[in-house]
Amino acid sequence: MVSDAQFGWSGTIGKVTLGATGADGGTRRVSYRIGGGTTLPFLEKDTPSPLIAFEVCDAPRFWSPIVRNYCGDLVNNLAEWTKTADSTYGADLIRLHLNSTRQRDFSDMPAVGKTVETVLAASSLPLIIEGSNEPKIDSEVFQRCGESGQGERLLLGTAEAGHYRSIAAAALAYHHALIAQSPIDVNLAKQLNILLKEIGVPHDQVIIDPYTGALGYGFEYSYSAMERIRFAALKGDTDLAMPIICSAVDSLNIKEVREADPAFQDEIAVSWEFYTGIAAAAAGAEIICVRHPKTIGLLRQAFAGMRTRAAPAGVP
Amino acid sequence: MRTVTFLPGYRKIDVERGTTILDAAQRAGLNINVVCGGQGKCGKCVVFIQSGRTEFDVQKYGRFFSDQELAKGACLACETFVQGDLHVIIPESTLIQEQKILVDGQDKPIELRPSVKKYYVELQPPSLSDPSPDLSRLLWGIQKSGGPIAEKMYAPLEVLRVIPGILRHSEWKVTGTIALVPGGYRLVDLQENDTSKRVYGAAVDLGSTTIVVYLWDLVTGKMVSIASNYNKQISCGEDILARVNFARKNGLDRLQALAVESINQALTAASNTAGIDREDIYEVVVAGNTVMTHMLLGIDPAYMIAEPYVPVVRRALSVASGRIGIACNPNGGLFLFPAVSDFIGGDIIADILACGMADREEISLLIDIGTNFEVVLGNREWMFACAGAAGPALEGGEVLFGMRANPGAIEKIAIDPVTLDPRYSTINGIRPRGICGSGLIDLLAGLLTACIIDRTGHINTGIDNPRIRKTAHFPEFVIVWARETDIGKDIVITENDIKNLIMSKASIHAACVTLMKQAGVTHKEVSTIYFAGAFGNYLDKKNATTIGLIPEIAIGQIKNIGNGAIAGANIALVNRRARKILDEIAYRIAYIELNAEPSFMDEYTSSTFLPHTDLTLFPMVQEQLESCRVRRG
Repeated sequence: MVSDAQFGWSGTIGKVTLGATGADGGTRRVSYRIGGGTTLPFLEKDTPSPLIAFEVCDAPRFWSPIVRNYCGDLVNNLAEWTKTADSTYGADLIRLHLNSTRQRDFSDMPAVGKTVETVLAASSLPLIIEGSNEPKIDSEVFQRCGESGQGERLLLGTAEAGHYRSIAAAALAYHHALIAQSPIDVNLAKQLNILLKEIGVPHDQVIIDPYTGALGYGFEYSYSAMERIRFAALKGDTDLAMPIICSAVDSLNIKEVREADPAFQDEIAVSWEFYTGIAAAAAGAEIICVRHPKTIGLLRQAFAGMRTRAAPAGVP
Repeated sequence: MRTVTFLPGYRKIDVERGTTILDAAQRAGLNINVVCGGQGKCGKCVVFIQSGRTEFDVQKYGRFFSDQELAKGACLACETFVQGDLHVIIPESTLIQEQKILVDGQDKPIELRPSVKKYYVELQPPSLSDPSPDLSRLLWGIQKSGGPIAEKMYAPLEVLRVIPGILRHSEWKVTGTIALVPGGYRLVDLQENDTSKRVYGAAVDLGSTTIVVYLWDLVTGKMVSIASNYNKQISCGEDILARVNFARKNGLDRLQALAVESINQALTAASNTAGIDREDIYEVVVAGNTVMTHMLLGIDPAYMIAEPYVPVVRRALSVASGRIGIACNPNGGLFLFPAVSDFIGGDIIADILACGMADREEISLLIDIGTNFEVVLGNREWMFACAGAAGPALEGGEVLFGMRANPGAIEKIAIDPVTLDPRYSTINGIRPRGICGSGLIDLLAGLLTACIIDRTGHINTGIDNPRIRKTAHFPEFVIVWARETDIGKDIVITENDIKNLIMSKASIHAACVTLMKQAGVTHKEVSTIYFAGAFGNYLDKKNATTIGLIPEIAIGQIKNIGNGAIAGANIALVNRRARKILDEIAYRIAYIELNAEPSFMDEYTSSTFLPHTDLTLFPMVQEQLESCRVRRG
């Protein structure tokens, strides 16, 4: 049964705001204030369910063929794909992967800003942007993202210990939040958060990405790292008291999905993404990112079930 | 046969075709710096082929050299094979040089209770009315002059053989030397006339890199001379593992002989300085690590480097020096400190003896940083110890311009927080050639407090300063511009160097914390941190704390015991009673195998941050860094 388990913890997960509505100077129809937890996930009395972000990208030829097959031509029209994610798939957030910037010698900087504007115009949901991962262009890419989304309180990704300065600069200059990713380790997560704090990024602009392996492909390590992060935060370590985002991006590429019987491939892919997502939520993630549209509904249903107090089993 | 001529000294050696230049150089008596033991990994054995045919895989090892160096014929001595007659230039930097070797032990007076004493006796010659045998006559005489009871003394065959001649030739005026050995009293020497003032003993620190000898007058209890020497085993591999592997491949004889030769050279030098005869050295006390001790005794160490890492002996050992080949009186004794495990050897027991932590109620932490590191935590009731590899970074390996503490090494350095210009001093004050361990610690602390690097050691390339630059591989910081150096190129520290240094310091700190957790002790309960070993003596305590090499305690409570191994050996040599507690200390220590400690990796990761992921463990450093950051804005 669900109890109001407190265990004498003193810490609270910090709150991070994503998306700005008209009242806050943005154009989003909704703004989320995530975090604030005081105990383990799903044991709170009234914390909301984790948010579900749907991932889209600006270079779909690098995207999972399973998603491309399911969504069809939609993936080649970013605006329509985004719109559909919002209206039909039922996502809470859009996560835009600027994977065009991951190509060798990428230099079309104006396109970055335009893509961001396209997505912002296509959906009024809060937006997560996954930028480049190349020191030579990071600074400009994040600058463009930050600028195009000014006032919208974006979530920018992804800062790592080896490169966090350009993304932090953009987040600070344009008041966005950022994702701090470390390789499945509580200490490394904390270190990155300290580094960010020391260059001026306040904790309420940081979301932890513990790095999520697909179920069966290292997820148990991610789970354990997330648990430890959450325990440390609840025990009062403010450098770890941030909401968590999980994106098990490999779920659709694993062997079991790739080599599945074509008739069941889609189903297996969705199941894999779903079970990884639900496990990440159980470990404490506030945002679950998915790539297959069908996963969204399943997760939502499951979250609702997990929040319902089970009736005591009747003893005949 | 091919003739290899080594320049600039024109030393020649004939070798088989296919021999490595490293082997040829060693046979020619040149000590080449081989950090990796000749596996082509360290890139330190650089030589230049002036003429002649060789075989060298430039594709594979070219990364160690600049194009100019390659054009001049640069190659690695260990990976270059002689094909024809050769002329090879060995640059000075490739040869093992005289190092700054730590020789000071401690100054506290040691109670004089030697295990060897001489007795001068004037005996009545035997007669028909007094026909007792020579030996009983001698021993009885010794007893009458204050020696042990005659029946309790034993004379070995070697001495028996010389007794009749010496007694008669000296007209019954002789000096007998009695040593207390584990079996009882032993007559170890007999000399003509009165030599009772000439009893000497040597304390030896048998390190894997250096050997230090202190010569003591065991009649007056005064130290008479000091000598040091390189451990010649270094030519068979820099670290212990490389040497054990060498022994596996080539047998133990050469390593044993090199250890003995190194000790003997130092003993000879010390005897010459003091103007004494080596025959008057009756006892040699050796404190060395477990593998060194095994090798000196000629015990195969091959099994010790594999799991479960078990040494052959744990007790203190006494043998006759002659059996090992030590150049002192052949019947003299050789006393070896006990070891706890493969990695906690006699040198650490000597450190413990020297710092006195085994006698005190307060908890002390002892850290010995050398080629490997050892940490001991405890007091007079309990002790935990562990050991590990800190990696070669603190000794100059795996750092681009890292070097040992040789002349020209930057040993101290501070960075101006505004201009970012370093102020430094080098060993012997000559133009810099590289940077040694103590300099690297200063540098790391300086880079951190000047905000040039962040807490994970990444260089902030956003800072506009010519010293900070990006290269094809890693960002780097220029410590000394080429024109000010002795090597004609910029001395830099790269982000990769810094990473290696942080890994080294993290393993040491994590080892300390692991022991403290094992004992349930916090850093506040540690009263004193002792640094033993050469490295500890030269490093800046504040900077060592700033980077989180050691747990933070009051700077005044961090003490150097210098060369604790020699200090401990001195005590055990001069005061034989101190030896009694050595075995007891060795048994008191609970050895913690870090590999088997699941929390160690966690501690290690949290230590790979400057100073540490848990900043509450370093309140003083945190305060200092905060103020630095405020100053820089």
